[in-house]
Amino acid sequence: MTEPLLRIEDLAVNFDTPSGVVKAVNGVHLSIYPGQTLGVVGESGCGKSVSALSTLQLVPTPPGCYERGKIWWSAKGEPPVDLLTQTEKQMQSIRGNDIAMIFQEPMTSLNPVYTVGEQILEAILLHQAVGRAQAIEIAVTALEDVGIADARSRLKTYPHQLSGGMRQRVMIAMALACQPKLLLADEPTTALDVTIQAQILELLRELQIKRGMSIMLITHDLGVVAQNADVVAVMYAGRVVEYGSVHDVFDRPQHPYTRGLFDSMPRLGEEKHRLRTIEGNVPDPGNLPSGCPFHPRCRDWQEDVQCAQAVPPLQEVFPRHWAACWHGTGCDQGNASLADIPPVSTTA
Amino acid sequence: MTKDLQTKSDSALPRSYAARILLDTMGRWGARAGLLWIGIVAFCAIFAPVIASSHPILLQTADGQWTSPMLRHLSAVDVILLVMTFWTGLLLIVRMWVKYPWFKIWCFSLLVLTVLSLSFVKPPKAIVYSHYREILASGDAQYAFFAVVPYSPTDRFRERVEEMRLLSPSGEHWMGTTGSGEDLLSRMIHACRIALAIGFIATGIALVLGVTIGGLMGYFSGIVDLLGMRLVEVFSAIPTIFLLIAFVAFYGRNLYLIMVILGLTGWVGYAVFVRAEFLKLRQQDFVQAAIACGLPLRSVLFRHMLPNGITPVLVSASFGVAGAILSESTLSFLGLGLVEEPSWGQMLNETRGLGGSFFWWMGIYPGLAIFLTVFAYNLVGESLRDAIDPHLKKASHL
Repeated sequence: MTEPLLRIEDLAVNFDTPSGVVKAVNGVHLSIYPGQTLGVVGESGCGKSVSALSTLQLVPTPPGCYERGKIWWSAKGEPPVDLLTQTEKQMQSIRGNDIAMIFQEPMTSLNPVYTVGEQILEAILLHQAVGRAQAIEIAVTALEDVGIADARSRLKTYPHQLSGGMRQRVMIAMALACQPKLLLADEPTTALDVTIQAQILELLRELQIKRGMSIMLITHDLGVVAQNADVVAVMYAGRVVEYGSVHDVFDRPQHPYTRGLFDSMPRLGEEKHRLRTIEGNVPDPGNLPSGCPFHPRCRDWQEDVQCAQAVPPLQEVFPRHWAACWHGTGCDQGNASLADIPPVSTTA
Repeated sequence: MTKDLQTKSDSALPRSYAARILLDTMGRWGARAGLLWIGIVAFCAIFAPVIASSHPILLQTADGQWTSPMLRHLSAVDVILLVMTFWTGLLLIVRMWVKYPWFKIWCFSLLVLTVLSLSFVKPPKAIVYSHYREILASGDAQYAFFAVVPYSPTDRFRERVEEMRLLSPSGEHWMGTTGSGEDLLSRMIHACRIALAIGFIATGIALVLGVTIGGLMGYFSGIVDLLGMRLVEVFSAIPTIFLLIAFVAFYGRNLYLIMVILGLTGWVGYAVFVRAEFLKLRQQDFVQAAIACGLPLRSVLFRHMLPNGITPVLVSASFGVAGAILSESTLSFLGLGLVEEPSWGQMLNETRGLGGSFFWWMGIYPGLAIFLTVFAYNLVGESLRDAIDPHLKKASHL
């Protein structure tokens, strides 16, 4: 069995706000294997972005605070290191070089005062031992790789002269210029229109196959996950509530929240008059309900069960398919060790 | 509005944010008028010894030899200013055709020139201003070509001191003379140097301190911000003028001391500005992206955040330059400024004579110069502010 590239263990991140401590992430377990795409889905505020930001120690501290947990990073052949205990200096050599990140808003993710070329070059010159002329060649190749025509002259343009889709391509080129092993894509297509969205996702997939890198794809769009991810983690209120391969989770969702999400999505070829919704609102992360954070909105909740008293652990309900619900419907296989969630088949 | 800007910038050559702000600023009449006056003051400051000097620029002695007493009496600072002005012009003209690291060359030549002129330029120590007037009168010289204002700022007309004191403006002395018999216009021209230097150097010191401290406060926030803000409060409680007077009393009248004190007490405003900008900027996606690229803190702070947050600070800096000039004038007016070097505030001080007499030319001209210079900096600052934030301008007109 191969080692996971990245393994998040029981991560908890708190934010100190004037109105009290907000538990943005509260015990997340995730692992990503080489060459795999992990889709992380959930509503806004469920902690998916914070989990990704924690991986690069990018959560602003203060007000943020890494409460507990470990993020093991194992580059090829080396013993895993805990990214949360790395110094700022060590993190600088990991950021951009081993783990790169692209953000949601391409309109604001590029610095308006520098040309596209200057920004890409800075990252390349920082991480690779190359001269300026060579760095320009790398930048041009990187831009061509993401499908930007006339790359050499595009180096001299300012971000405001590019469209949203172009800027996101530039961001991807910048992130991939140093050949990272893991790409954290925080809602990379949310701000783009649908055709551009499809192009960007297609591009990410091509580049992933070409370079064999792993992607953590954060999104709230189940369609995007279905098309692009190998493994999916559904998050709710700072926890992973369901985890499994895309096929397993999509074919037989185990958690009532996941089922609710699928019910609220129209399907092709299925006649429906009105979609079912999940009643209620996302709980206030500063004031979570007792027990299972989903129980006040849960359709399956019965008064007699322990839902309101204790938080359900992530249990293996089917082989390699986990869900955190007291109403586990699958065969009870006993608790697998959460610290080592084995790889789900990546051959989709 | 934004659409308009978009199409404009798209059709034009790729322009940086700084270039766009600069173009917008220069398009406003306030900036042009302000810069014109600052340009005149700067010209006077650089060419002061050429414009106003008791030493002839060219002199032909009785035996037919040509000399230039003016050049021989130039001080090291005069030489540096004059040579660097022409050298900068030359470098910039060549740059139009050939691309080369002109700024590095400029810095290097400034260094070399400073060392050379400080060690080799030795003007005569004992200066007799009346010397050339006497030579001309006695017919020992065939020909002498004087500067536009043929009086040095410290030329007290020793040969006829009594009759030269406090003359009102006339054809000979366009702005009259001072209580010591010096030509006022010459002193006005030479005082431009102090006015410019004090403004730029004091504000420069304040800017460097303010940007660094404010930037760190805004970026790190938390405990750094807490301590930084207390430091800001301590420094903003210091009465600058009082401190200046105290220092001048203890350490004597030193221009550099005044500059440093003005800088050390003036940074708080910039620090608060930069802090606010950085607090806003550090949440921005491109800053997060820069950190996520693994860029070191220095680069994130000063390459990625500062250019996006510096413009409001530059606006307040242009008002700061005006403030520093006023502070120096105040100090000189109180009689605590420089003694030998001419300064506008010091001339203003001499307006009131003994026994309540009032010499109007000693008040009008230096006062006007101070007013116009402060006004010019404020105009430039205001245009810069309008260029950065067009909404602010609209709001102020309502």
